[in-house]
Amino acid sequence: MAEKILSMEADEAGGGLVRGIVLICLVGSLLGVSYNWFGLANPSGWGLPWIAEDRMAMLEQMETVDAEVGVAENDDPYLTNDSDPAAVFAEASSNPGLPEIAALGRPVQIKLNAVRLYVDAGAALLVDAREPDEYAEARIPGAINLAYDQVVTDPALLENLDSGGRPIITYCGGGECEQSLSLAYELVAAGHERVAVYMGGFPEWYEADLPVEAAGEGIE
Amino acid sequence: MDRLRRVLTSPWTIRICQVVTGVLFAWAGLAKIGDLRGFAEQIHNFRMIPVPLENLAAISLPWIELVAAMALVFGVRARAGAVLATGLLGVFTVAVLAALARGLDIECGCFGTHDATRVGWVKVGQNLLVLALAFVGALRARRG
Repeated sequence: MAEKILSMEADEAGGGLVRGIVLICLVGSLLGVSYNWFGLANPSGWGLPWIAEDRMAMLEQMETVDAEVGVAENDDPYLTNDSDPAAVFAEASSNPGLPEIAALGRPVQIKLNAVRLYVDAGAALLVDAREPDEYAEARIPGAINLAYDQVVTDPALLENLDSGGRPIITYCGGGECEQSLSLAYELVAAGHERVAVYMGGFPEWYEADLPVEAAGEGIE
Repeated sequence: MDRLRRVLTSPWTIRICQVVTGVLFAWAGLAKIGDLRGFAEQIHNFRMIPVPLENLAAISLPWIELVAAMALVFGVRARAGAVLATGLLGVFTVAVLAALARGLDIECGCFGTHDATRVGWVKVGQNLLVLALAFVGALRARRG
């Protein structure tokens, strides 16, 4: 029945249906492209770049803040930074002993051991980009919750975020979760200079048997 | 069955379905145009198309929706608009189902970023409902 009714019969003014569909798509695309072109030309800028950037690929090129040696096995793990003292691994002068999260105008990537050092020292503001219910269940100790969905609808949350002069480390549900990455870019765009993304996220932290904090309680 | 067919292919039923679908599409299109960046982000979350093409989809798709909506509401090339709307809704529904099957917990983005409805069976039902409307709108009116 559907085929019969939807079929383009000869009396449909000679393939007028297909022509109509093509016309709508063409006019729509043309309007969209013009609107975006004006958006790019406009300083307040609603325009999107024509080609989307692949943030996961950019992540691979990101500088990585890493503390290579496990903290528990080594009393002084910070001496591993001598391989490239000029790089981001260099110690931050304000926080001796911590690998530096550099202000590069873009987020850097941070690994588990380095996150651990920062959490132990309370030297960074951890931001949990997961949903509030996941955050309430369990989180890295001291982390605050800033779900990426909330940020999208209320950008003031980013600008008003006070890290107390400390760098910011974002994390989320690990794996393919890119909310922490997107959040990190938004934070940099909102004027925060030192932002790191912990891509291993909560699952990696949890599986490493590190302390977690749950709703209504302190550090376990 | 014959009676149902008579009702569905009545010019009035078809016209009403076209207008309702058109209004819904206009709303969906405008909401997305209002926040292109958010919409691009949501397209990305679905992981259905290559990353470099995501912005192009975000740029053109809402306007195609809007033009199709105009065609439906004003009755200019309304059947073409209805067939296109049916096709788009089919694609959207498949995208939502695929996201569900892969266990992605994401926002639908169906009606722009202010629609925080997450991908789920409610969304599938909603889509199918509008799909049915658009489909009836795409039917050929019976003569006489």
